[in-house]
Amino acid sequence: MEFKYIAILVSLVLLAFLLYKEVTRTNRARLVWRILANIVAVGCFILLIVPIRYETHVKQNPDEIILLTDGTNTDSVAKLKRKKYAFPSVNLKNTKATTLSDLSYFLKSNPNIRKLNIYGYGLSAAELKNLKGYQITFHPSANPGGIISANWPAKLKTSEPLQVQGTYQNSGSEMVKLLFKGLGKAVDSIAIGAKSNKSFSFKTNPKQTGKAIYELIALQKNDTLAKEPVPVQVSDQTPMKVLILASFPDFEYKFLKNWLYENQYPLAFRSQISKNKFAFDFLNIDSINLNRINTSSLKKFDILIIDEEELAAISPNERSSIALGVNNGMGLLIRVTNTKALTTLGGKFGRFESPVLKGKPLNLIVTEDHHKFNPLPLEQAVFLKSNQTDQPIVADASGKTVVNSSISGYGKVLVSTLSATYNWLLSGQKTDYATYWSKILANAARKRNDIQSVNIIPQFPVIHQKMRIIADLVASDRIPQLKIDSILLSPRQNMELPFQWDALYWPQKSGWTNLEVNQAIEPVYIYKKTDWEALKNQQKLDGTHQFIKNLGTTKAKNKLTDTIVEEEVSLWWFFAGFLLAAGFLWYESRILAVK
Amino acid sequence: MLKAEGQNWIRNLRKKWINFYLISIIAIALAISLVLSVMSVYLLHFSPWLFAVVFPVILGIFLFIKPIWKTTDQDVSRFVNNQYPELEESADLLLQNQDELTILQQLQRNKIENIIPNLSQPKEPVKKLYLGLIILLVGLLISIGISQISLHKSEPLNFHEKASQIPAIKENIPAEISDFSATIIPPAYTQKAERKQKQFTITAETGAKTNWKIETNIGIKKLKIIFNDNEIAPLKALNASHTQWTYSKTVNKSGFYQLDLDGKKSDLYQIEIIPDLPVTIKITQPKQHTTIDIGQPQKINLNVSLTDDYGINDAYISATMASGKGEGVSFTEKKLSFNTGFDNKRNFTLSKQIDLKSLGMKPGDELYFFIKAMDNHGQSSRSDVYFVSIVDTAELMSLAGMTNGVNLVPEYFRSERQIIIDTEKLIKDQSSIPVQTFKTRSNDLGIDQKLLRLRYGQFLGEENENEIGGDHDDHDEHAEHKNEGEKFGDVSTIMDKYAHKHDIAEDATFFEPEMKAQLKAVLTEMWNAELRLRTYKPQEALPYEYKALRLLKDLQQKSRAYVAKTTVKTAALKPEKRLTGELDKITQPVQKMSFEQKEKRTAFLKAALALLESRKTGKKFIEQDQFLLGKTEKYMIGAAADHPSTYLNALSSLRKLSTGNKLIMSDIDLVEQAIQKMINTEAAKPQTQSTGPASALYQNYFNNLNKTGK
Repeated sequence: MEFKYIAILVSLVLLAFLLYKEVTRTNRARLVWRILANIVAVGCFILLIVPIRYETHVKQNPDEIILLTDGTNTDSVAKLKRKKYAFPSVNLKNTKATTLSDLSYFLKSNPNIRKLNIYGYGLSAAELKNLKGYQITFHPSANPGGIISANWPAKLKTSEPLQVQGTYQNSGSEMVKLLFKGLGKAVDSIAIGAKSNKSFSFKTNPKQTGKAIYELIALQKNDTLAKEPVPVQVSDQTPMKVLILASFPDFEYKFLKNWLYENQYPLAFRSQISKNKFAFDFLNIDSINLNRINTSSLKKFDILIIDEEELAAISPNERSSIALGVNNGMGLLIRVTNTKALTTLGGKFGRFESPVLKGKPLNLIVTEDHHKFNPLPLEQAVFLKSNQTDQPIVADASGKTVVNSSISGYGKVLVSTLSATYNWLLSGQKTDYATYWSKILANAARKRNDIQSVNIIPQFPVIHQKMRIIADLVASDRIPQLKIDSILLSPRQNMELPFQWDALYWPQKSGWTNLEVNQAIEPVYIYKKTDWEALKNQQKLDGTHQFIKNLGTTKAKNKLTDTIVEEEVSLWWFFAGFLLAAGFLWYESRILAVK
Repeated sequence: MLKAEGQNWIRNLRKKWINFYLISIIAIALAISLVLSVMSVYLLHFSPWLFAVVFPVILGIFLFIKPIWKTTDQDVSRFVNNQYPELEESADLLLQNQDELTILQQLQRNKIENIIPNLSQPKEPVKKLYLGLIILLVGLLISIGISQISLHKSEPLNFHEKASQIPAIKENIPAEISDFSATIIPPAYTQKAERKQKQFTITAETGAKTNWKIETNIGIKKLKIIFNDNEIAPLKALNASHTQWTYSKTVNKSGFYQLDLDGKKSDLYQIEIIPDLPVTIKITQPKQHTTIDIGQPQKINLNVSLTDDYGINDAYISATMASGKGEGVSFTEKKLSFNTGFDNKRNFTLSKQIDLKSLGMKPGDELYFFIKAMDNHGQSSRSDVYFVSIVDTAELMSLAGMTNGVNLVPEYFRSERQIIIDTEKLIKDQSSIPVQTFKTRSNDLGIDQKLLRLRYGQFLGEENENEIGGDHDDHDEHAEHKNEGEKFGDVSTIMDKYAHKHDIAEDATFFEPEMKAQLKAVLTEMWNAELRLRTYKPQEALPYEYKALRLLKDLQQKSRAYVAKTTVKTAALKPEKRLTGELDKITQPVQKMSFEQKEKRTAFLKAALALLESRKTGKKFIEQDQFLLGKTEKYMIGAAADHPSTYLNALSSLRKLSTGNKLIMSDIDLVEQAIQKMINTEAAKPQTQSTGPASALYQNYFNNLNKTGK
């Protein structure tokens, strides 16, 4: 027997007993009222235990459902008198809805559904893909508060700065402080005013070699609103090999040579002493024959630094092998001092002379990131013209190009009119010198081809959620071995690009995990479910909006049919009835009867 | 009875008057002395006993000014007469002997005596009393205000002092130690008394002797003290039960130490050294370069302030005189003392007048001097070198500069010299000639000076005789433009109409700005000389004349350039032989080097940072990590020995981390911060950029692109 029947039975017995007591009471005043009150009280009590349900008829489209997604405002949804479906992740509170574990499965099993009313932040891109052909009405929630976009390089090379950029959306009515923290100390912070979007950009030089997790912390007064991890990996690299050919030794070469030598860069230096006589320096490198420059000797170097006089003086054969080397990826930096071009390679960029300002130091700026150098005490007269196909690298304060670059085949040709950067070193500005030459050399040098590259979709792989690992390999003939958490994955080859393989995985642990691709280890950071929530929600919101926009609005005819919806009478009514009846009985026995 | 009543009334009034007045004066004096003494106590930090002196003095002054007790009955009666017309100017009758009065007077007196008791008491004395009390109240308020202000000001100061006394670090003391003390005996030069502290963190002066006295609650076999993690010193047991230990050491260097109780090591405690700084010397007078002109007293006033942190032992002036010219220059050195005793005071303000004549200095000589001071620790310091030179008039008057070479600036120079000669002659003749002639000659000289000045003004482009370097203000020539026929559409003429154009006089000359500035200075001196001459004070004019001449001389020297003639003979070139030498015997120099990074410190520290980061995620240290942690600890010990206050906490945190299993975020943060401080800022290094894997497909695509491009 069910509990409710027992309860009803017991209550009826109680009622009978009560009625008997009432009837047999000596004071027979208000007997009818008392009996009535007893019946009402017990009846209400029973109904409190066994609520009354009734069915109502609602006009509803049978092919239309309400879908509640993350971020749904439950209060606003509660008013909707229709059948609701929700994802298990949605916090429902007091709204009743059927939970849907798999939307696509549900839709497949209910083929008559044609229209979806989506509430909340919407669906992810993968889920939206399955909704093609459906009619969708989107009722978006308010924009999520927090970091709604962020980006940073996951892998850095030693001495490279880490730059974290993004946007913070503050939908609250109070100021939020966004703090960038890492390696035990706060690096930088920014204040975001109430009800505003603000983009941020934090820069720091990670000092570790290996993995580290920086953090973006959103603070409102003393409350931590969010704490988002920023995993970063810093690794050393094999240094580039440099070849310098000088027509005559000068200070610029000497300082550059020493600087590269002390930073352990392999360097070969050749300077002419007399006709066909050279002095050689082989620093951090095995000596090779450099009397004649040919293609094979150039293959050993990543960058060639040469002055225009030397370039003009060497034989045409050597010149053409340099041009070939550049086309095959080598970097070439030509130092020029005259306005007249002596060679075709050096004549790539037009030059012009600008009147020298006496006693005014040269203020240089990196055109890419507008980094300003300390003034260089020299009078620069020769500048470079820049074309549409060039990329100026360094310019002076008024925008006249000093170092220009352009692509030639696989490689790059740089021309510099700057002749005495060593003045920085002499005046103690070591960082300026290092920054300048790092910029120039990194820009010019031969690009290193990775053996493999790994891409992970989505941007923030989350624990227990699907992630796609895409590996690009050099050779396409062999199936790569993908291993993560020491689980061997089965990769799938791309139909169009045979060297690209992908595999799906559901991570088991959060934090750093090692992905092995053909024995090479690639660390991957798996995020917790709560990390970067605002960003993911914003992406969903934007994605759903975009999807609906692309869908077009082909409105299906609304065919209304009766659907039966079960409703429940509120328990408060019965409680009130019980209270009134019991109250009357008490009052009657205590006060009215005593009189 | 009646008669006496009138007199009594006046006497009572007098008493009341005097009393009230006295009280009021005391109140005012109290107020003034209160304000004065509060000001001097709180603002100038005098002793509060000052009040006991100030108050009687001020009271005395008041009483001296107004001897109130001397008020007589007559004075009172006069006052009453003035105050009450009812008395009909006869109050004094009451004071006179009744027998001496005439009948009329007696009648009057009787009349008044009837009136007097009915008169209201005069308000004057009460008013005085109130005034005095009000002043006292104001004085009280002011003094309270002053004391509040100075309290507020001094509060933060006190707070800092207290903060520095409280140990910055809470020390963990091993449980075995029941009692301990460290006695620091500062070295003699500091003149500080020894101090005892119940704290292991030690702040001591350089060379201070520190005694540790440690009492343990149980017997310990061996108690050692380890300095900077490498210097181990055993403590001496004082009793047989091995519970009392002592150790003493003279500390000269900052660092840290820890205790070792039978192998159980305590926390790290820091030793901070307060270094003894040398004496700071500040010369406020004279300026670094001083020139003494003719007519000025050949003396310099030297004002120096010396400060040291413990005491000054000695200070003197080291002076060097240079006399003579060219090869005949000779130097004499002299040590001048300040004639004061230096009994290890911390501050000195010294002044000395150096009489150049008594040093034997002649015109043209120069004096170089500096001040050397020694503190009581034997450290010496010296000031910058200061220069004093006496202008040589004979040099100025000589024609040496003018007779040879090119004379760029014309003969006007001689005129200034001539004026000087004439002035000196005039002064010499002053006693023998009549006053009128003296005045006329002086005035004439003034006129000469004016003419000279005007002529020099021409060099500056001056046109007006009243101003130095001034502009002219008559613009008559602009009026002419009106008459000229205006061409229609001629922009320049229209422009001329509205613009105020003429040459800038100063730029029309050939001189450089620096020279012009000096010329202006010459003109100023001439102005001054002229003024004195015209007011018949040739004696006063003389220094200005000399100065003008000196500046002119300098100018003249400046405008000259001299290039020595040299002869060089070179062999004739044979163009056909150039670049034809045989080079086959020349070997090509080859240099081969490999840079060995001896210091692996940075690499280790960087790896340690990553290790700590992985520890943060909850990973425990494994065996291999201990090596890296040990290395890091070694480097940090080195850093902590130099800067204990910066690295000591991090070092103990690092030790806690490497031994303990508990994950304490704050410790990791502290260690990471310290490591980052230890790694200096890194300069950028060129890094090769990387691209995706080079598959054959990309290569083909590139080749095809190239083909179509050609």
